[in-house]
Amino acid sequence: MKLITDNLSPELPGFFQDLTSTPKLEIPELSRRQFFKVSGITGGGLVIGLALGTGSNKAKAQSAAADATSTLSPYVQIQPNGRINIFSKNPECGQGIKTGLPLIIADELDCAWEDVDVVQADIDASKYGAQFAGGSLSTPMNWMAMRQAGATGRAMILAAAAQQLNIPLTELSTSNTKVVHATSGREWGYGEFAELAATMPVPDAASLTLKTKDQFTLMGKRFTGVDNHDIVTGKPLFGADTRLDGMLFASYTKCPQIGGRALSFNESHIKSLRGVVDAFILDEFGNPKMFNPGGGDMFSGVAIVAESTWAALKAKRELEIEWDLSNAEVSSWSEIVERAYAMKDEDGEPLMTTSRGPNGPTTVPASKGDAEAVLQNAATVVSGFYEYPYVSHAQLEPETCTALYQNGNVEIWAPAQIPQSGESGSAVLLGIPAEEAAQRVVLHQTRIGGGFGRKLANDYVFEVVAIARRMEGRPVLLQWTREDDMGGDYFRPGGFHSYTAGLDSVGNLTAWQDHFFTSTGNDTAPMTSADLNPNVFPKDVIDNVKLSQTMFHNAIPTGPMRAPASNAFAFSFQGFMHELAIASGKSHVDFLLDTLGDPRLANPENPQSMHTGRAANVISEVARISGYEQGASEPGRAKGLSFYFCHSGYVAQVADVSVNANKEVKIHKVWAVGDFGFIHNLSGAENQMEGGIIDGISQLFNAKITFENGIIQQQNFHQYPLLRMPQAPELEVSFLEPEEFSPTGGGEPSMPPVLAAVTNAIYNATGDRIRKMPLFELGYKLV
Amino acid sequence: MATLNINGQTMDIGEIDPSTPLLWVLRDELGLVGTKYGCGIAQCGACTVHMNGAPVRSCQIPVGNLTDQQITTIEGLAAADGTLTPVQEAWVELDVPQCGYCQAGQIMSATALLNNNQNPSDADIDAAMSGNICRCATYSRIRQAIKDAAAKMNGTAFYDAAQTGEIA
Ligand code: FES
Ligand code: FES
Repeated sequence: MKLITDNLSPELPGFFQDLTSTPKLEIPELSRRQFFKVSGITGGGLVIGLALGTGSNKAKAQSAAADATSTLSPYVQIQPNGRINIFSKNPECGQGIKTGLPLIIADELDCAWEDVDVVQADIDASKYGAQFAGGSLSTPMNWMAMRQAGATGRAMILAAAAQQLNIPLTELSTSNTKVVHATSGREWGYGEFAELAATMPVPDAASLTLKTKDQFTLMGKRFTGVDNHDIVTGKPLFGADTRLDGMLFASYTKCPQIGGRALSFNESHIKSLRGVVDAFILDEFGNPKMFNPGGGDMFSGVAIVAESTWAALKAKRELEIEWDLSNAEVSSWSEIVERAYAMKDEDGEPLMTTSRGPNGPTTVPASKGDAEAVLQNAATVVSGFYEYPYVSHAQLEPETCTALYQNGNVEIWAPAQIPQSGESGSAVLLGIPAEEAAQRVVLHQTRIGGGFGRKLANDYVFEVVAIARRMEGRPVLLQWTREDDMGGDYFRPGGFHSYTAGLDSVGNLTAWQDHFFTSTGNDTAPMTSADLNPNVFPKDVIDNVKLSQTMFHNAIPTGPMRAPASNAFAFSFQGFMHELAIASGKSHVDFLLDTLGDPRLANPENPQSMHTGRAANVISEVARISGYEQGASEPGRAKGLSFYFCHSGYVAQVADVSVNANKEVKIHKVWAVGDFGFIHNLSGAENQMEGGIIDGISQLFNAKITFENGIIQQQNFHQYPLLRMPQAPELEVSFLEPEEFSPTGGGEPSMPPVLAAVTNAIYNATGDRIRKMPLFELGYKLV
Repeated sequence: MATLNINGQTMDIGEIDPSTPLLWVLRDELGLVGTKYGCGIAQCGACTVHMNGAPVRSCQIPVGNLTDQQITTIEGLAAADGTLTPVQEAWVELDVPQCGYCQAGQIMSATALLNNNQNPSDADIDAAMSGNICRCATYSRIRQAIKDAAAKMNGTAFYDAAQTGEIA
């Protein structure tokens, strides 16, 4: 299992650390009897199973497959017709994991991909360990477990075949879902041994022989998404597509000033409206300003339950609610900006880090060396103050979830990135003791219409559970509006970096100082995803680093968004690195490579730290394929380069950009070179990189959430524009796949570098140094 | 009792609030949940359907205003035997979807474009598709899939596996 944990990235937020440190990563050792029992699943599961299973060859829902005869493990079943069901454990939110994980199993099981039906697993920690979509962790955390699951199935089939055919095991092999006897030239489909195989003892992991890379028959090629057919034909796959008998539809309206509590509303009017079944106030639970996926936390508001979505949404418009604002947020972004700029030349509090010594963890300043002294004697000193805003996830599927509460138990259908926390939090909300939660709270995962981290929070799950409790016996589907979503996000927090760095007489980077400005809700620690990782680049590669921090009190809810922290830091770090490169007199590439130094693990004590050689390789390669050189290729047109390392992935990107006199920016092309270790589904990895680049460009130019007196000022896409087809540049994506490294995830590291690649290109084209996102506020327009 | 003509069939929608947008009639009354809600204000295109062959935003059309129009939804594109249209086929083969939530709307817009213009330029594609947001940013694959579908409709090879590597 070493391989797996080695790939976990150091910058994981705490809740991912919790998830990844559970011992449940191993395939739970269940007896065959238990497999049969759990695959029987519940009646409610069958409903959605049938709804989801229609029309698709490749993908089914778990319960529809419950009649399969021979279960080899929680991951593999052989159907009566010899086809193979492979269970995909984690939520699918567009990152391709529903295809990616089964592919690993299928290869080790030695299946032909055409013989495989992928089944979305239900939520069950006893069978699947941690099930979540976040941190680009699904692949690295499950890589070895999935390989073992496949190899386990293969070993059981072979053992059964040997017994049934009375042929020595050593004479049998497998290929394309068949058992092969080479000496006689005979072969049999796996289905012929299914029944016996399911009775074979489960071999222990140590006895398994995994394939070597050259033996992979599937992995390394391009595979299309298993749900593609259902998506292009409009089959019910997503959260809001859940349909149950007697179902009701709900809206939920919270205070625009975040944290306000509903006191009263025009109840009799709302209840008199056409199609409205009930309307009521729900109290706040927990502390929902703070990101906490498993606590049951939710804001107070008014629920309207109706016979149709439209009736619930139409009545919502007529709500008149009186709010108690005593606990509502009062912060304003404009004020925070003013305070940060006023303090930009001051020092902050020393940034602290936890180091694990022989006597347990101790908290020490994160700075190292003596940056101040080195700066005093530096040949060149460069400073820059960088700003970036709050941003909304704006996943295209607004929050939605369905729940049925009956006899004190609840069944949930959720598009959720941490569905297990949705279950445990629902138990907390309902007062169900933790030890009874597994029996009394059942959650079925649906496909997620975009996550980007928004659906790591489970607030919308808890809201519908609270509503369903009031509507006992009737399933309720909660539908948020886009306005609910944009005004009620766990936002990517805004922040500021005040940098000063020193170069010696030959242009080498010798000292780095960063005063980081962020927000805190409790006045002791930054809000979620609003912290500066004390080990962040370039601390490990230079000797003198001073890190300090100023926190402003501001509890506007924040949470992880695709590449948390990196999605903003990369813009400022790599923009400032370009400023330094220019001041150094070296080429940009040389400056980056010189700063990285010799190929090595940047922090030898931390196996998850950046490998400078892998970093250098992606930078050199993207410079080579793009023909990058610093400077304009023609008046108003130039390329810009940027690199970032996060979530264990290395990505360098170059943007080719034109800027005209009206500050209209055309991005002609972006080149990207990634190193995510071995890539087992090339189409999936390319999709993540392509999406990450355009996501980054979209945010860079247009994404900004502001708040005044605790009220979010943007409500829908007309005030928060996303990039559209005409603005999308040509993309060229490639990967280095160093032999010795197992796969890491591509969803997050693909996005951050492009931010500075574009702003560095604008500098190279025009001489305008951009230190603030989004660019529309500086008069730039993406065309 | 009101009826609508959807995917070539006359469908009964019962006594319904005439202000109900077509989007919610499709989803809640008729069980055609392939058409998606993304914004409700004609910004995202997730709810795109065809009205008499033209792409429209179903979140903006009160059902009471519909009379004899022929509505086509994502569920109505493939042939009765399940054969996909060239656009749907190209989408599957090029692996366009990421989360997939926008794709019904994208496919309806692309289909309407190709029904009128089987040789669209990049500018034609920009114009026809700019009302559809893809938050996952699958735009380059959408553009290529439209070109592949156009080539398919014109009877030429639409996809060269040798050029892009093996697709399973
Ligand atoms: S939901 Fe109709 S355009 Fe967005
Ligand atoms: S595929 Fe997710 S919004 Fe387009």
